[in-house]
Order: sequence, then structure tokens, then C-alpha cells
Amino acid sequence: MEADKNEKNPWMCGRCQRALVLEKVKVRYLEGNFEVELYKCPQCSQVFISEELALGKMLEVEKGLEDK
Amino acid sequence: MDLDKLLEISNQCIHNEPPECTASCPVHLDVIAFVSEIEKGDFEKAYRLLESRLPLPRLLGKICDHPCENVCSRKDAGGSIHIGELERAVIELGYKPPKKAIPIPKKKGNVAIIGGGLSGLCAALDLNKKGYLVTIFEKNKRIGGRFWDYEGNGLLKEEIEAELEQIEKSGIKIICGTEVTEEKRKELMGQFDALYLGTGNWSRQFSPDPVTFQAEEPPLFVGGKLSGCQDSVILSASSGKRAAVSIDRFISKSSMMASREREGVFKTLLNYSVKDEIWEEPVKKETGIYSGSEAEKEAGRCFKCQCNECIRACSHMQKFDITPNAYIRRINHNERIILGTHFANKMINSCTECGLCKVQCPVGIGMQDIIHETRKSMVERGKMPLSAHDFALKDMQFSMSEDCSMVRRQPDKEQSKALFYYPVLAFSQYARGLYKGSGKTGYLFYPGCQLSATHAKYIGQMYKHLVGVIKEHEAEKDVGMYLGCCGAPADWAGRQDLMQENVNKIKKVWDEMDQPVFILACTSCMSMFEKYMPMIRTVSLWEILDQYGLPEVDIKQGKRVLNIHDACTARYHTNIHESIRNIAKTLGYKIEELDYSREKAKCCGYGGLVSNANKEQAETFVSDRVSEASQDLLVYCAMCKDSLMRGNKRVYHILDIIYGNELEDDSPQTILTLSDRHNNRRKLKKNLLEEIWKEKQDMETGCDFEGIIPEDVLAVMDERFILTDDVWKVVDHSRKYNERFFMPDTCNYLARLRLENVTYWVQYEEKGNKIIVKQVYSHRMEVLEE
Repeated sequence: MEADKNEKNPWMCGRCQRALVLEKVKVRYLEGNFEVELYKCPQCSQVFISEELALGKMLEVEKGLEDK
Repeated sequence: MDLDKLLEISNQCIHNEPPECTASCPVHLDVIAFVSEIEKGDFEKAYRLLESRLPLPRLLGKICDHPCENVCSRKDAGGSIHIGELERAVIELGYKPPKKAIPIPKKKGNVAIIGGGLSGLCAALDLNKKGYLVTIFEKNKRIGGRFWDYEGNGLLKEEIEAELEQIEKSGIKIICGTEVTEEKRKELMGQFDALYLGTGNWSRQFSPDPVTFQAEEPPLFVGGKLSGCQDSVILSASSGKRAAVSIDRFISKSSMMASREREGVFKTLLNYSVKDEIWEEPVKKETGIYSGSEAEKEAGRCFKCQCNECIRACSHMQKFDITPNAYIRRINHNERIILGTHFANKMINSCTECGLCKVQCPVGIGMQDIIHETRKSMVERGKMPLSAHDFALKDMQFSMSEDCSMVRRQPDKEQSKALFYYPVLAFSQYARGLYKGSGKTGYLFYPGCQLSATHAKYIGQMYKHLVGVIKEHEAEKDVGMYLGCCGAPADWAGRQDLMQENVNKIKKVWDEMDQPVFILACTSCMSMFEKYMPMIRTVSLWEILDQYGLPEVDIKQGKRVLNIHDACTARYHTNIHESIRNIAKTLGYKIEELDYSREKAKCCGYGGLVSNANKEQAETFVSDRVSEASQDLLVYCAMCKDSLMRGNKRVYHILDIIYGNELEDDSPQTILTLSDRHNNRRKLKKNLLEEIWKEKQDMETGCDFEGIIPEDVLAVMDERFILTDDVWKVVDHSRKYNERFFMPDTCNYLARLRLENVTYWVQYEEKGNKIIVKQVYSHRMEVLEE
């Protein structure tokens, strides 16, 4: 469920005007707690989730947890 | 949930019940499998099936008196399948010499067979295979008994000799030319562990047990003609085989009777209906025996009788390729597992709970209640997937909220006095109705949340009409109005907690209004009121209109033919079926009934919240239903209209034809988005309060921008269950707190906001005061920003 490291992220933080960096971020759903590498603003910590990630891997993990 | 009780229900399902042919076959040949192999042209496989049930297959297969043909379901649709002829063809085309059996030690005991005829040989062969030392005593010079009667008359001498030779080679001891008398028999009883008597005649009579073939004297078993098998060769063979089972059990001292209820000929519970089958006559033989292609064709006439009544009518069971008995076993497993994945969740949430299977089932098994109980149990155990029904439940809560819900008594006389003058009173039935206001609410018009979302424009007009006609007939009863949701989504989602909340709310209103009769426009509401609020008297809007008359609208009388799609929730409401048809006829329409109508109505795919939990499944319901209709469809449930229009069909709600809308327009009908439906409910409350109750309403958006969402993005939002309200919340929040991402190349913003249990993402462009939405998506996983 990690962000794609191979492609350059065209988004930057709109508030801090900083380029996003890949960092370990905590995510949780139902009984599941994970640490995954995602893009975030190094200053304000706003985390970026792409459409591809939200509707792909993330959805898959959500569904998997829901059926546990 | 009582799973043991559930499994008992699954055992009642007759899907796996054998057809008449197999049940009437004393050796239970699997006729369906047999003819299926023939149909495929695999005669060898067909022969192996024959061989597995029929002893001495090359002889018996040719002379069998095939009782199966007398009961074949095909007999009333062209003529029974020629199973006997097919057996002969298979022996000719598919025979393979048996593989040399590995000799097993004969240690289990010794058995004497008196009489080397048909039944004796069958008993001997089976006992030999089971590991008994078998000795046949035959008074003639050769064994074979009745088989020799068919020499030159169905069987060739060489065939008989070849097959009997196999018996001699199998290790069975054969003593020919030795007559066993009653005295000798008694003597043999002491020398053998068991005796089988299979001679056609004997000096005295026996009364063997009809199941075990055991005679009065314990180690003695009696079969063949002596046990009453008369002239049927296959019954004789079966008696020998069954006696062999008994002898084995007797010697090994196991139960003589256990699990033998369906040995021999039995009555199947399957009652296959041929009423929809096409008449087809038997294939004729060119020569004395079916050729391969003739046999294949003849086998193709077989119906492969099996009870599929429910599956045939249900898109859900078809899609999951499952029968009720297997379905129940899957539920049982899903309910019992503690660790691991609940694989049946999606299936359980893909049933529309429409109840058609129960109507179809010859033994009355229905999945509706089972699925409902299962979903309740899943919710109680915290195992219901959150995303399956979340949107629908939030939508329901919205309909029940202050935004959309309202209750009002009929506007009182004081409030309406501006209308009480000539000519208004003379021409407006509504004004006369208000003039007769009694202050006592006898009826409460309850249009339901879906009709309020899709047909909001008719609700006010209909309310006025109801006040007019009801006050004319029942002057003392005022008509009030109640906008809300009956709670059907909670019921479908197994959420008894939310259902109970709704029920309490509705009952409170009912009590406060002095227990009026609810006028229901939605049949889902009707089924919920009946199930959870039986104390509240209800009447269908359509019955009222049928009885008291339709609104007078300047419409052209329709001359067209329409197919009626009945609502599955009105399955047992004959009065509603009649009212709808009467209304359509009054308006000049001709009705053509669909095969699945009235109590056999098929669901549109909305029931059970299937379109929320499994969109693909909902689509199969739609396409199945639409394919049945040759004309435009007439429906009386708002959700049926919405669902069926998605199958590219013109669909009219009964209100559409009552108010004469969309009649001649051939342009595509618009399907409202989820957001439109939301907004319509909100606007309906506002409009009704302003127009009828003269209460001024304010509607504020609270946003300082003009939002634009292109059509294609709106379509994607619907696909993803995202509402415009939520999109604006995200945009507004991102602008207020400058919490957003920015893409320099396109000057687009991307913002996120978590609302309850969902995080929504919106990509947008700012153009002055305008916000143009580019993309919207969401996820449920929570990201901890720290």
C-alpha cells in the first residue's frame, strides 16, 4: 500500500510551498494498524494519497479487513 | 442465529433429489449422467457408468425391462427417452473389457448361493467382490438361468457364454448338476455362514423381509422370483444385489436396517414440470440399434430433470451459481469461522431479499428470511462489512433528519380562509376540503423518501388531491402530511438498532396525531409498516386513487401498450396489483402482463441494498428484468423506475402517467444523481412548507464560491457514492484553512477532508469566484498526520 516511488510527484504542499517527501506514515482501519511510506509535506505533515492508491491497494486492504 | 435449524432447512431443498427414472430403477442407474455422456459422444464413459450400477452389464443392459421409461418426464412432451435402446447402443459402442481385478483374500466368510440364475449370479458377484468365498449350486448343467431364455431373442449365445465365463474366472466356485432340496438346504445352513436362495421355484414358501431379504431362518436370504420379483429381470438383479448387502451386514454383525430407506425403487420428491418444455418425438432407428449420432440425438431430448425452480427465476443465485442447500451451508460456514476471511459476505449482501425463491420453491424454502437473519447476526457480531451499506444508511438518516423530514396536520380553516370565496370554492376540490377541516387527522399522507427524491414535483399536487377527495367522502377526516423514511435500508442492512429508532419515531408521530391511517405511496414502506408497526393502519395511495378517483389533469388519453413491472415488496398485495391495473386502464393504456408478475414479481435489483453492496449484481437483475419486457415499463415504486431505467428502458412511474408527463417524448429519460435526490428531498420540504403551510424557509449554502461539477465528474461521483454536499465541504474547508496541495503545471488544487468515517479528496481549479471540480475520490482508511 505504499506510494509509487518511481514517479516524480507533481504535487506540492499548497500551504507551505514545499515539495513532498516520502516518509513512514501511520494508517488504520478497523482492527488494522500499519506503517506505510507515503508522500507528505515535511513542514505541516499533510499526507498525500493519490487516486490510484485510494482506489487500488488501499481499497483492497480495506475490503480485506472488512471481511476478517 | 440457530445454525442447526438452518441446516435442517438446507436438507429440505430438493435440488439434489434424483429424477423419476433413477428413483424407479431398482439398481439406481444415474440416468442423467449416462445420457449426458452419450450426448457428448463419450460412449466409453457412458458404458463405465452403466457398468458401475448394473451387474453383467452386457447381458442385463440388453434385456432390462427399463421401468425408467414408464415414468420419464418426456413421456408427456413427445415420448419417453428410449433409455433401453440407449443402453444397447452404449454396450455396442462403448464396451471396454474390464480391467483384471486384483484378487482379494477370501477371509470374510463363506456363502452358498442356491440357484445360478439371474439374482443368484448378481448376489454371488457382489459377495465375491466383498471378499467372501462363494459357492453356487445349480441343478442344471450350466449357470445362467433366465439369460438363456433370451438366446436368439435379444442375446446371442456367444455373448451369454462370454459373460458367464467371466464369473467362472472370478474365483467363484460353481457346482452344476446338483439339485438342492429343502433337506439339503437345511444341511447346508450348518456348513455356510449364510445362504442365498435364488431359484425360481421351491418346495415351500418363504416370507423374506422386503428390505433385507432375510427369511424366517436367520442365515437364510431369499431373492429373485421367490421374493416376488415376478418377470422383471432388473428387479431380480436388484434383489440379488440387496441380499448381498444384507449377507455382508449379517456376517459382519452390523445393523441390518441402517440407511436403507432408499434402496431399490423409491418415490422421489422431485416433481418435474414439463409445461414450458417443447414437444419433441423420439429419434427413430435406421437399423436394429441406434447409431452413435442417433443415440446422441435421442440423449439430447432428455430434460436432465432437476429442481431449479428458484435458480431459474433468480439472477442472484445464477450469478453465484449456487443452490439454496449449498447457499445455506456457505452461510453456516461463514457464521462459524472465528479466524480467517468471511468469503460469503459479498454473496450474502447480494441477495435482494425479494422473496421470489419462496414463491417458486415446491417445498417452500425462501432465502429472504434466512438472508435477513444472517445480516442481523453479522451486524451483531461486528462482522458486517462497513462499506456495504454505509452510504444507504447515511442517506436514510438524512431523510429522517430535520433537513427533509416534516409532519403537518391539514392546514386549518383560519389559515386557509383566503381560499374560501367564489369561484375558488366552486372549482377547487382542495379548497372545499380545507373548508371542511375538522382538526382531526384521519389520514397521514406518507410518500416515502424515494418518491420524495425522484418525483418531488407531484407530491404537493397529490396531497391537495387527497385532501379534496377524502374530505368529500369522509368529511370528518383531515389529511396530514409526513415526510420521512420508513427504515427499509436499516432492515435490509440488518441494523435492528436503527430500525427500532425509526419505528419509535414514526409511532410517536402516529400517537401525537391521534393514530391516523397512513396513506403509503411506496410498497417498501408498506412492507416495513406491516413487519414492524402492525398497529398502524395503512392504505396504499393507489387504492385510494382507484377508489376515490384520479386527479383531473388535462392529459391525452394514452393508447399505448405497457408492461407492468410489479414491485417485489407488493408481492402478496393483490389489491395493489388490481388498483394499478385499473388506474392504467382508466387512463386508456393497454396492459400486457410479464411472465413474472404479481406474486411472481422479480426485483428490479434495488431491494436488499444490492446496488450499494454489489453493483454488478444489481446490473444483472436489471438486465434480466428488462429483457423480459417487450414494451415500455410501468412501475409504481420510485426505486424500480430508477433501477430499470439503467437498463436503457423507458420506464414510467404510475404518477408519470397520472399527471400525463413524459408520454410522447422519445428523448432519453434522465436518471437523477444521488446528489439530485438528496437535494430534491430537502427542496420538497421547503416547497411544501412554503406553498401549502405558508411557512417561509431559508436555505443557505454557506459557501462563498460558485461550484461547478462537469457531467463526467458527476457520473464518477455517483459511481463512488460521493455527494456534492460533501465535495463542497472539502473545498470550503481547504480554502478556509489553506489545507491543500498544489500542482504548479496545472494550477490545480487537491484537498482532503475526513467526514465521519470517510476521507474525501477533491481536485479543483479556481477561476475567480468559480470552483471547477476535476476529480473526486475517497477512502475509508484513516491516515494519521503527525
